[in-house]
Amino acid sequence: MSTSEIGRGSWVIGLLLTALSLCSGCVTVRPEQRAVLADPVMQFQGDAREAAQRQHVLENREGSYGGTSVQGGGCGCN
Amino acid sequence: MPKAARMRARWGALLAFVVTIVFGSRERTAWAQVVEVDARTTFFHEPAPGSTMTVYTPSADLTARPWEALAVSAGWEADIVSGASERIKAGPHSRTASPDIVSGASVHDVRHLFRGSFVITRDVTQLSAGGSTSNENDYKSRTVHASARTDLFQHNTQIELAYSHSWDTVCDAAHTANTDPTLRLPLDTSDGCFKPNATDRTEQPIRTDAFQLTFTQAWTPVLMTQLVFTGQLQNGFLSDPYRAVVLSPNGQFAQEHHPQNRAREALAARAAYYLRSIKTAVRLGLRGYRDTWDILSGTIELEGEKYFLPWLRLRATGRYYTQSGALFWSDDYTGGEPATGQRGQYWSGDRELSPFSSVLVGARILGSWSAGEKRVAGIFQGLQAAAALDLIFYNYRDFTLAGQSPRDTRAYVGALSVTALF
Repeated sequence: MSTSEIGRGSWVIGLLLTALSLCSGCVTVRPEQRAVLADPVMQFQGDAREAAQRQHVLENREGSYGGTSVQGGGCGCN
Repeated sequence: MPKAARMRARWGALLAFVVTIVFGSRERTAWAQVVEVDARTTFFHEPAPGSTMTVYTPSADLTARPWEALAVSAGWEADIVSGASERIKAGPHSRTASPDIVSGASVHDVRHLFRGSFVITRDVTQLSAGGSTSNENDYKSRTVHASARTDLFQHNTQIELAYSHSWDTVCDAAHTANTDPTLRLPLDTSDGCFKPNATDRTEQPIRTDAFQLTFTQAWTPVLMTQLVFTGQLQNGFLSDPYRAVVLSPNGQFAQEHHPQNRAREALAARAAYYLRSIKTAVRLGLRGYRDTWDILSGTIELEGEKYFLPWLRLRATGRYYTQSGALFWSDDYTGGEPATGQRGQYWSGDRELSPFSSVLVGARILGSWSAGEKRVAGIFQGLQAAAALDLIFYNYRDFTLAGQSPRDTRAYVGALSVTALF
């Protein structure tokens, strides 16, 4: 796969995200209905530091990357 | 106006803009006086006869919120490594020629990382920026990152854009510029690395740019989804300087040789749903990944989390990961053209570039206490403690050490953490 193919894929994903963002304007969850959504158990990155350390372990042993956070320093690769 | 005066005027205007953003709210923000102290450690252990690996990763972070709109953090993290790893990777054919070709080397290293960041939060926007610097015997890294987030449609939609850039430097054995890659020997030790008078050492740069777009949407009072797109560009010395690969049946080996550029992208889709009937949150995550080295991977992750007491909750995690091998991956690089030469332009001994799958199962128990009218233990506004354990099993479909399957295919990852609010 070439860099230009990755570039084309990025455009498709960008368009998908734009379409989704336009759809999302129709949805309304009122503030008083958000008690469950605000609970820590419903958060995707509830404990960001724990997620970062776990991701550091996994990415050092896998050929892939991404989908969580772009922060963090390089290596510590053992 | 002279050029210098124009520059001063521009910088002045920029400074005024930043000051306005930070301090210029219509109402004076409240004095929050909240300090958060977070201490944790991760323990990684990969048991295997002859090549065990143990890594402790302690960290400590301090976050202060001098105003409600501003949080400032500083932290430290270390990787304390001890164990052994194979330094010469051979394929099945080399085993016949030399049964001892796979050699192990002990590894002892400590990496210190220092980080700092700030977050500015307004009604519907959040800006954050920070950086980190880390040093180990043979690797230096400097990273900056920034992100901007905004809420839309009555906070039901959240969009975040993040960017980071890294300037890394890796120590390498000094090779003359015209030395053929097949004749380059690997680095033997980290002695002499980053010392100005070490003539047999050199420094190789790695530059990394990463960006990420995150789109989070609340659909119903119990359903939330998230789409994350990440892109990354890497340029520089992307090999392991210590690792060598056998290139001919007579046992000749050379330092691992990877391409200098890599473009990577990943798309993750997640959903969190609260099952009222059993009072449990269920989170499902899917991720697809591809890069210009032709690695394709897929990840599926399922988590369930439930309160057993108002202050105590338990999380269970399952994760399956699978990937294809890199375009230039081979378990045996001997037998190329001519018959005694290497196969292909690049060669690698990195099992992370081979086709494999892994399964992770884990659990976490977490206690969380918030101060009501009285502080927790008379001291804390809030206190949280957690313990977690993950087991990971790897299945390498094509990676061998001189024809023998690797034995370090299990890993245990433990984590302990305490977070206190004052």
